[in-house]
Amino acid sequence: MGTRLLMYLAVILLGAIIGAKAKLGDNLKKRLGSIQTACLLLLLLTMGVMIGMDKDVINSFFSIGYSAIVISIFTVGFSILGVKLVSGYVTGGGKR
Amino acid sequence: MTGKIVGAVAAGVLLGLYVLPVTILDHTDMIIDIGLMLLLFFVGIEIGLNRSVFTRIRSMGLKILLIPLMIITGSVVGGIVGGSLLGMPFNESGAVGAGLGWYTLSSILMANYSNELSTLAFLANVVRELMAFMIIPLVAKRVGFLSAIGPGGATSMDTALPLVSKSTDPETAIIAFISGAICTFSVPILVPLILNL
Repeated sequence: MGTRLLMYLAVILLGAIIGAKAKLGDNLKKRLGSIQTACLLLLLLTMGVMIGMDKDVINSFFSIGYSAIVISIFTVGFSILGVKLVSGYVTGGGKR
Repeated sequence: MTGKIVGAVAAGVLLGLYVLPVTILDHTDMIIDIGLMLLLFFVGIEIGLNRSVFTRIRSMGLKILLIPLMIITGSVVGGIVGGSLLGMPFNESGAVGAGLGWYTLSSILMANYSNELSTLAFLANVVRELMAFMIIPLVAKRVGFLSAIGPGGATSMDTALPLVSKSTDPETAIIAFISGAICTFSVPILVPLILNL
């Protein structure tokens, strides 16, 4: 996974450098969203296929759904709490 | 967009259940790797085109970096706490929390680790985004403007941004965008990192 992580970073950085330095055509800029959507949908379709072929996941879908709600309640709650803790410092004691 | 996302996953599940042969699994890892590289490359281009984000960070001072830092910390710790109630290993629940609401990427990053965890990451982060839409106005009103950036996580730079902007003020909206961008950049680093602890 270490190599894979480096590859992800390298690809993002390569894209960022090209986006910042190269003069990209307006046509490509307009289509960036559509290209990303197409990649995303292909990935999600593939992920769906992998899920569909995993009988254990299909059978435990409802218990996974319950776990998802429990985890998301805590991630959202702790995120709000975390930001609240530093809000005063960030704004220099302002009201926000 | 939400409809397309749910439709693609549902179509994939149905194809996997009833249509495609099991031998397709020999190629799915490669398809995911290629698709993910392409997606991250274009995300990188988009970041490169929006260089003004980095200028804004400089002008507002480094203190605002505490906002995404606390969102990331809160999400990972929250994931671990929630996961411990469910009897999950801390690295798996922490990695789900580290998805920061980016349900597509976080679930894809876990696809090669475990299909069950990948499904959980997808659902947990979908629920997080839906929950964000529901509570951002309430948090802005009752807890504070900056706290309203918390629920969205990575989505504060895109889908949740209009709601943050409407519920708070322009300055908070800019901070939300910057925070969302940093969270977005952190997801592909944090999820594999925490998963492998």
